[in-house]
Amino acid sequence: MNKAAIHVRNLSVRAGRRSILSVSDLSIEQNECVGILGANGSGKSTLLRTCNGMQHHVTGRVSVLGLQLASMSFRRLAALRRAIGYVPQLLPARGEIPLTLREVIAIGRTGMAGLLRPLGREDWHRVDQWIDRLGLSSLAGQGYGTVSGGEQRKTLIAKAMVQEPRILLLDEPTANLDPGWRERIVEIIQSLHATGSLTVVLVCHELEVLPPCCRRVVILDQGEVVADGSPELVLTGSRIESVYGPGLSVWHQGGRHVVVPAEVSRA
Amino acid sequence: MSSCPRRFPVLDLAFFAPVMAGGLLAGGSSGLLSVYIVGMRIPFLGVCVSHAALAGAVFGALAGLEGQMLLWPTLVGAMVTAILLGLANPHRINMDANVVLGLLFSVTMGLAFLGIGMLAVVGKSDNDVRSLLWGSLNYCRWADVVLMLAASAAMLAFVLLFHKEMRAILFSRQDAAAAGIHATAVWTGFLVLTAVLMTVNFQTVGGLMIYSLITNPAAAAFQLVKGSGRAMALASLLGAVSGLGGFLLSAVTDLPSGAVIVLMSSFLVAVAVLWARLRGG
Repeated sequence: MNKAAIHVRNLSVRAGRRSILSVSDLSIEQNECVGILGANGSGKSTLLRTCNGMQHHVTGRVSVLGLQLASMSFRRLAALRRAIGYVPQLLPARGEIPLTLREVIAIGRTGMAGLLRPLGREDWHRVDQWIDRLGLSSLAGQGYGTVSGGEQRKTLIAKAMVQEPRILLLDEPTANLDPGWRERIVEIIQSLHATGSLTVVLVCHELEVLPPCCRRVVILDQGEVVADGSPELVLTGSRIESVYGPGLSVWHQGGRHVVVPAEVSRA
Repeated sequence: MSSCPRRFPVLDLAFFAPVMAGGLLAGGSSGLLSVYIVGMRIPFLGVCVSHAALAGAVFGALAGLEGQMLLWPTLVGAMVTAILLGLANPHRINMDANVVLGLLFSVTMGLAFLGIGMLAVVGKSDNDVRSLLWGSLNYCRWADVVLMLAASAAMLAFVLLFHKEMRAILFSRQDAAAAGIHATAVWTGFLVLTAVLMTVNFQTVGGLMIYSLITNPAAAAFQLVKGSGRAMALASLLGAVSGLGGFLLSAVTDLPSGAVIVLMSSFLVAVAVLWARLRGG
């Protein structure tokens, strides 16, 4: 059994007097790809932010790559974050951002290079490698604000990957994307996980976003883990109905999963 | 904005050399700042810093300081506000940076006007305070230029040393922190230097000109180039052109320099927008 990449025990996150996340025990092994599912407000993004130390008002024990977040100095926390690639749910949407895609991706190398040291040739080589790998070469010199939402998503994934992370946290990486772009992002996640010793934690609403490498799904409901296991066992029709509402069914095929209206499933 | 001290169909270079150098420096340094101020969407920063500086100057005057000695409490007022703004992480306090600026502005403005009222009560003049914050480019002397040069050089050094961190913060302060970058420390350091540079520029060239030069050059540059380095270079150039060119134009036309500089920088934005549209940008 691998050492856990992330281990959460007796975790509680509060927003004012309200508990928004309560997890008694959750462990994610190294090189595992885990999908975190749940309805809006179920605590998925909060769990992700907790794992890279961005969430406040946290009690309990959160261990990432063997290090306890609660007892860490800011300097050590910053060092740990450099080992975690984080792709946020919301894209910076300001049209005034004067950065090219290449510059945005290079942000991933900034923390690694350290203060007062410019990015070196090796850093830019890594940046260009990921630009090429994610098919962004023709857009590298374009302004970030001038490319499509899908290209911005790929840019943020590249930014996370140039960090050479040991853990990749993806918060709804296909939000607002059309089915074509969604499939391309799923393929990218699948290939990233397949080629390295990378732990992937993927938060999503749509089951279609789960790549075949995702062999474990955790379902959150009102801030609590209500199911944890393989997609085929966890994502049952009754479970989907209890989380997302009645009239829904789920199909599984070839490691992929999709929610459909119940009448379509019966037809 | 005060008018020219004398009419000059032909420039008296010995008298106006420091004025031109001041316009060039104020424009160039404000243009550099504008990339971050527009990029982070905080153009209200200039108004907030000027009132914080005013509050510092007023309480310095109340404490018995006079003349150039008032520069120190003025700088302290501006820097304290910059530190508070830098430490107020919008995501942590769940408040937009512009709302934080608004709050700080209302507090500093309240303190400044309270202090001005107290100056009247104790029978002190507020002339020193006003002249410190609302200077005029036409009265800029070499001593002012040296001060502006020192503040501008410190800002340029900071931006060069922390270029990659500032680039990350420009993209998203929260994302920068998530990537293990010391975003709060670097951003607070930048704001403190910005407060110093703005305060020095306020007292030599005046507030109206600075307010326009911390937004217009970047607004124009973003229309024309991509990439943070090019945007910084072009915004600095456009700021310098506005500062020096506006002054020269005002000297030739015998119009108020501050107003001409502001209008010239606005005209450059219009030209840049038109140029970008014609290019299909």
